[in-house]
Amino acid sequence: MVVAPSELNRLLSGLVERHATLALEALDLGFLTALFVRAREAKLASFGEAALLDVFEDVCAVMEPAAEQRRRRAGNTFARLREQRLLVRVDGHGVVRSGEFALSRLACAIVEFLLEEDVLTRESLTLLSASLQQSVNDVLRGAQRAAAASEQGAPEAAATLWTEQVIGPLRVTVGELVTGIERRQRGLDLQQEEFQSEIRRLLEADWFGAIARCQSLLESTSATLRELNELLLRDTNALLSLLHDIEELTADSKASEAEAAVLRVIEQVDSISAWGGARQCAWSEYFQYVHRYLRDVVRLDPSRALSQRLREQLAGGGARFSLSLAGAPALRVLREVVQVADTPNVSRPRANREREPVPEDAGDPHEVVEARVQEALALGARSLADVTDRVNAQVEPEERFVTAGRVAQASATLASAATERDRQWVRVEGQLEIEDWELRARTREG
Amino acid sequence: MTKTFDQLQDVIEDAEFPVLDLALRRGFHVDRDSAAWYVLLSEGQDLLECFYRRYGCELIHKTDGYFYLLPTGEQLPRRQLSAQDMLVGQALALLYLDPMSLERGGIITREQVIEQLVAALGTAALMAAFLPKRRRKDEQVAQRQTRAKVGEAVRRLAALGFAELLANEQLRLRPALLRFAEPVRGLAEPAAALAQLVAQGEVALMDDELATGTQLDADGPTGEDETEDEAVFEADGGERDTDEAQP
Repeated sequence: MVVAPSELNRLLSGLVERHATLALEALDLGFLTALFVRAREAKLASFGEAALLDVFEDVCAVMEPAAEQRRRRAGNTFARLREQRLLVRVDGHGVVRSGEFALSRLACAIVEFLLEEDVLTRESLTLLSASLQQSVNDVLRGAQRAAAASEQGAPEAAATLWTEQVIGPLRVTVGELVTGIERRQRGLDLQQEEFQSEIRRLLEADWFGAIARCQSLLESTSATLRELNELLLRDTNALLSLLHDIEELTADSKASEAEAAVLRVIEQVDSISAWGGARQCAWSEYFQYVHRYLRDVVRLDPSRALSQRLREQLAGGGARFSLSLAGAPALRVLREVVQVADTPNVSRPRANREREPVPEDAGDPHEVVEARVQEALALGARSLADVTDRVNAQVEPEERFVTAGRVAQASATLASAATERDRQWVRVEGQLEIEDWELRARTREG
Repeated sequence: MTKTFDQLQDVIEDAEFPVLDLALRRGFHVDRDSAAWYVLLSEGQDLLECFYRRYGCELIHKTDGYFYLLPTGEQLPRRQLSAQDMLVGQALALLYLDPMSLERGGIITREQVIEQLVAALGTAALMAAFLPKRRRKDEQVAQRQTRAKVGEAVRRLAALGFAELLANEQLRLRPALLRFAEPVRGLAEPAAALAQLVAQGEVALMDDELATGTQLDADGPTGEDETEDEAVFEADGGERDTDEAQP
């Protein structure tokens, strides 16, 4: 059944809402199995409460002989199974009288799985295939009638025929039969796994003596699979041929719903056919492997001493050795020599960052300052502050402090101070303060 | 699938031959699972035995159902499996003999290989064998490194045809693994059987240094960083080879 993701989400949400869980103990499973077997043997449709208790007692006696308070446990078990919809009350009388109970479809499916009865065999496959072919033949005839009604211009009759004689049987009868084969295929898969475990168990129990039994198991399983595969191939081919005829009729009559139904059955039949081939192939590999094992390992080591001796060897019981191998180096296929274009690295051109020294006439700073002081005095400056201001205005700020000293020196040389005792400190250009003198220009003589 | 070869030229002209020849020369073991190669070797066995003898090596066909090339002269380089590969190979051979692996058609997991090694050697000896110069005290790190080393050994053995790597950390055991059991296979004493195998050139005895795996650590101070190349060493001291041969 192909389920779209949104549909799957809806289904899962439904399971959550319904709190769907299954919790079964071994005793529960045993009880369900006992009910199933009793019902089948005695052709019983349901069990009364007394009958249920009897069955439970019997199951307890076998599975848990030491169990006490069996009636109480039986009551709990019935309640648990009813909660999980494995046991259903079928009489509908409620509290008026004691009830009649039957196994639900879910319980039957669980027990059938446990009993592994649904294994694909030649008989079951032949029977199912024959029924399937019969049903598909009926569907084909129904499809022919529906197509004829369509051609005769009776759309309502045709629609009824498509629904009742094609879509319905394809979904229910044919679908059930095909699902039955698929279920039996899964049963056979389980049986094969069991065979493989059985072969291991046989060898572990009786190493050399198990060879014949193992070979017999292998042969019988191989024969079964081969036979089933042949039957599947033959029957599925015949079925697919019929189904394709039906598909053509549905396509010609534009009966899309019927066409979808028949395509789904075709897919199922295809998968059944593919299963046969895949299992045959897988079993063939396993068959060869086991045969080789029996021949190379078991027959050549009847006392099964090799494993023990190898284990001792591995544990360091003997001299260390190493296997010799051929060790030719890999062939070296030289590549064609290709002239690779020389691409230089990306870089800046080298440049001489050092500048050549250039001779500059710096002049004698004292002479410069002296000339400027001379100029200031000539222009009428009469105090040291005034002279300093004028000279410092012509130099860079960082040089003013030094220049102020030089101005004082030059002023003392070029002029004479005429100042009272207390000289004033005066702010001059360049945030400097100097002790001010009053100056008088000296004559050349003086 | 049967081929008939009248002369060597027919074998050599077979489409499968070049790849098969290269694989054999690199130490690959060919069994029935490599169906095309096995048929070619089986059908042309007589012709190929003469062919390879001229290169100073023998084309060996074991009754267990596999072929391999064994150098007997100097023309074709010979190499020995490392101590670690020998340990893993013997563990795989034990698993091959175990009916448990038979249940799954010879398919096992890497975990089973390590379990087998632990069962045979014990955890401490196993780690000492795979990490001979271990200095770190961290047990978890050492265990992880040991598992990695075992995995590398499995991969190398698979490249030689002793196993087939499958998905999900699984591997399929192949009959050539029985080579690891040769010294204890017959009725003779293991020492005598081993001496005979040494005389045939099938195996070489390892000295203590090789047996403890220290030869692998000559390149590194701790022995924890060697690559797979270091595990396969060549007897002639030549180049190391990691090429994998696959059918």
